[in-house]
Amino acid sequence: MTTEGGVKDMIPLYVGSTKGYSGKNLIVMGIGQRFLKDGLKVGYFRPFGRLPIKVDDVLTDKDAWFIHKVLLLKDPVDTLCPVVMTHDMKVEGCRGECSGLDVKILKAFEAVSKGKDIVLIGGAGTLESGTFLNISGFDCIEKLNARVLLVDHYDSEFYLDGVLDAQNRTGERLLGVILNSVQAGYVEKINDLIIPFLERKGIPSFGVLPYDAVLGSVMIADIVDSFAGDVLCCRNKMDGLIEHFLIGGMQVDQALKYIRKARNNAVIVGGDRADIQLAAIEASTQCLILTGNLYPNEIVVSRAETRGVPIIVVRDDTYLAAKKMEELSRKLRLKEKEKVSCGIRLIEEKVDFERLYKALGISV
Amino acid sequence: MLQHFFNPASVAVVGASQKPGKIGYDIFNNIVRYGYGGAVYPINPNAEEILGHKAYRDLASVSSKIDLAIIALPAGVVMDVLEQCGKKKIDSVVIITAGFKEIGPEGAHLEEDLAVRARELGIRVVGPNCLGIIDTASSLNASFAAGMPFAGRIGFFSQSGALCVAILDWALGENVGFSRFVSLGNKMDISETDILLSMEQDENTRVILGYLESIEDGQRFMRASRKVSKTKPIIIIKSGTTGSGAKAASSHTGALAGSDHAYRAAFKQSGIIHAESMQSLFGYAMAFANQPLPKGPRLAIITNSGGPGILAADACDRSSLYLSPIRKKTADRLREFLPPTASVYNPIDIIGDASHERYEKTLEVILKDDLIHAVLILLTPTASVDAEAVARGVVDLAKDVDKPIMTAFMGGERVRGARKIFQDHAIPTYDYPEDAVAAMDAMLSYRRWREKPEREYRRFEADTRKVRKIFASVVKQHRHDLIENEAREILNAYGFELPESRIAKTTMEAVKAASEIGYPVVMKIASPDILHKSDIGGVRVRLENDAMVKDAFFDITANIQLRQPQARILGVMVQEMIPQGKEVILGITRDIQFGPMIMFGLGGIYVEVLKDVAFRIAPLSRKEAEAMIHDIRSFPLLRGVRGEAPVDIEGIRNALLRLSQMAIDFPEIIEADINPLLVRPEGQGVVAVDARITVQE
Repeated sequence: MTTEGGVKDMIPLYVGSTKGYSGKNLIVMGIGQRFLKDGLKVGYFRPFGRLPIKVDDVLTDKDAWFIHKVLLLKDPVDTLCPVVMTHDMKVEGCRGECSGLDVKILKAFEAVSKGKDIVLIGGAGTLESGTFLNISGFDCIEKLNARVLLVDHYDSEFYLDGVLDAQNRTGERLLGVILNSVQAGYVEKINDLIIPFLERKGIPSFGVLPYDAVLGSVMIADIVDSFAGDVLCCRNKMDGLIEHFLIGGMQVDQALKYIRKARNNAVIVGGDRADIQLAAIEASTQCLILTGNLYPNEIVVSRAETRGVPIIVVRDDTYLAAKKMEELSRKLRLKEKEKVSCGIRLIEEKVDFERLYKALGISV
Repeated sequence: MLQHFFNPASVAVVGASQKPGKIGYDIFNNIVRYGYGGAVYPINPNAEEILGHKAYRDLASVSSKIDLAIIALPAGVVMDVLEQCGKKKIDSVVIITAGFKEIGPEGAHLEEDLAVRARELGIRVVGPNCLGIIDTASSLNASFAAGMPFAGRIGFFSQSGALCVAILDWALGENVGFSRFVSLGNKMDISETDILLSMEQDENTRVILGYLESIEDGQRFMRASRKVSKTKPIIIIKSGTTGSGAKAASSHTGALAGSDHAYRAAFKQSGIIHAESMQSLFGYAMAFANQPLPKGPRLAIITNSGGPGILAADACDRSSLYLSPIRKKTADRLREFLPPTASVYNPIDIIGDASHERYEKTLEVILKDDLIHAVLILLTPTASVDAEAVARGVVDLAKDVDKPIMTAFMGGERVRGARKIFQDHAIPTYDYPEDAVAAMDAMLSYRRWREKPEREYRRFEADTRKVRKIFASVVKQHRHDLIENEAREILNAYGFELPESRIAKTTMEAVKAASEIGYPVVMKIASPDILHKSDIGGVRVRLENDAMVKDAFFDITANIQLRQPQARILGVMVQEMIPQGKEVILGITRDIQFGPMIMFGLGGIYVEVLKDVAFRIAPLSRKEAEAMIHDIRSFPLLRGVRGEAPVDIEGIRNALLRLSQMAIDFPEIIEADINPLLVRPEGQGVVAVDARITVQE
């Protein structure tokens, strides 16, 4: 607890969302960094993780561990994420063999809280995730006595339903909202209608973050990883970011038109379509994804090598590959350096920290 | 069979024309001009007579019986003419007319209608969109080709009319004779298989040659070829074999199998001699048409210069032939007249100053050596040799010999005359020694095929009812991929040995299963959505104790959660680890033309990287299954290298046969892999460790 500053007690701040994959992790990192910069003692805690990994033989959550590292926190790993959804837990949870998880969370949280001004609590999935184990976001907010910041994408007016529902269930604890990844066409509507509506309901908005192509991009290495693809050349280009996916099923001249237009694109095409492959390489695509487990001929590979275009051969057919890829860019988790710093810059710029601090009762 | 096509007593040409340059003119002209002996009826409502023959306004106006009708009228009226043929009780029709399947959907419909009607009327049809047919024995040239081939022993059929014309022209120049010439066209009714069967019965045809772009009914074609090739060699060139097989495939077998593999396998299994180029097609044809088959693999080479002899020896090395040893008696006799610098051992080099007498004497001695099965005579035109005299000598000596003799006189102007002599006397002659060796090799392979005993099939006991039940339930759920347990049950029903295994839903269940099965164990993710388990970290092997099993359970499930979170997870399979053995891969794919195809290869890099695989069309005979195993380049690894014990090859063979049986019993299987099949040392059997099966309703 800071004595000289403006924080009386440790403030637990739960960052959650009404829908999944809304950018909670990014917001946590962005505001966490700002809090640190402003001299606050910051803790980070994730009650319930969904991506089990082991760090020094301690079970924790992959995203939580990443955020922990980005914020350069020193707390021990074993309190970072006390409950992680392993396969065992899924089965045992259904069988009713998991109990006392809430106690585990509380204990770990107490340990993390010690000596902190503020503890950022990262939610997983939606506020409802984990209800079947009695550790949903709502449960945690209540037990940890946390304030709530909602981060969501705006898709339609129904977005408001989720927010109001959360308000009904958390009452005074609801601090406000941040809208993330807002498409250019929505900005006006949000400023004219949505934010005023929320304000009338007593829900402040702390910022509207515009959609950013870099943030929505996928790293080539992740494509390789999630497809278990075979990289044929240019392994040094695996950190490239892909913003658009194109399917090379059309005539060569048509394909060229699309490839030239889209920034940082990857072309998904059958392994037997040498014509499109060569055209895509010449048009400087970032990456060629060849489907059907069909390997291209040597000319294509050597050409790609010279032009620095990585070629990835995957087993899926073109349709499946495109579907997967779309999912990948929607769900991709933050981990690339470039994306993180870009995201943090964006938060710094677009989030109204003055208002946030005021709502939290902090003066810095 | 198809007698009225090749030996009709009367022929009508519907659309015969009196205007040179029209196809209807060319056909009728060819029939009349090349001395066809039967009755001819030009049908043309606007002509009185054509080329001196009375013209008729329609088929009905001809009062006598007509055996064969040739239709050369626009596509739109062909149906009408077909109806008239029906009324006139004509049972054999050649439709020359183009404008059917080859021009698009509209033409295809028209062709389909024609096919249906022809079947109803009991009319057999060659074409449409073809050049016509030629039979030299009956002097019938019912085609619009320019020229008539000499009578000979080669029966030729082709899916390309243009190629027919080119070959005909070439054959006239090379003095190559044909028994029959059939342009198949669109194969609306009569296919390559029908032609094969008819040529089998044609006593003038000794060798059957074919150019194919596609095959109509692969299994029927194979059955017919298998039968015909036992008496007459079938040599086929197939175009469009590469690239077209490229398709998205989810399994190893699927990705490796292209239509090219299917054709090669089918040809191999039906005794068809596969020519890779037009040049070898005719190179082989000349050899088969004119020479006896070699009784064995031992070839003698006679040459007047070192280089060509070595080239021939090299080619021999790459084939199933080998350079024959020479009996001492033969060598001694050769020494009597050859100069001391000559080589009396194979290749027999009678050196640069050899005259035609030296060639003759040498050949005479060599032909008497009973070790030698075949002879290849090479010549380079040195100043001291009279190539034509050598050719005459060879022709003379070859007369009463039952060993095949081939020649390769290298050069141009100075050997032209000699080549002509060979052509006139049915001695195959080639531009280069490699071509001659390749032809001889093809003859030897064919002889071996002829001597092969009847195919033997072995049926294993199988619980087909159980398999049918599993497939029914999979299809009912609108699934295509079987989950591992289902695949295991099916293999089990076909008598495959499987490793003991259980599915564990939790870590503790895995530990329990492992201790029941006994360490060491293997663990694999069990999910219908994950086909290539090891690609995404879904497999752990050689787990020796509880702690390792616990770790493996976590690693596998966490990996999947991370990399394929949407996959349905049934648990983790804990499986007995088979301690020793070599990994091989067996598979089934379904080829559009030939049906189920069986694949075999050595596991790991051998299949993935080196594509070292063998294919055969099911059902496999015992010998074919064995041949498949021997076919792969890495076969020595199975037999054991560097003191290693051989693996259970009989076990692999039986596994292939069981799989083949399964593929035939259940046509709904479109793809299957047993990967790996672990092969224990000789006599100890094989274990199907992992399997995938894909079905289609």
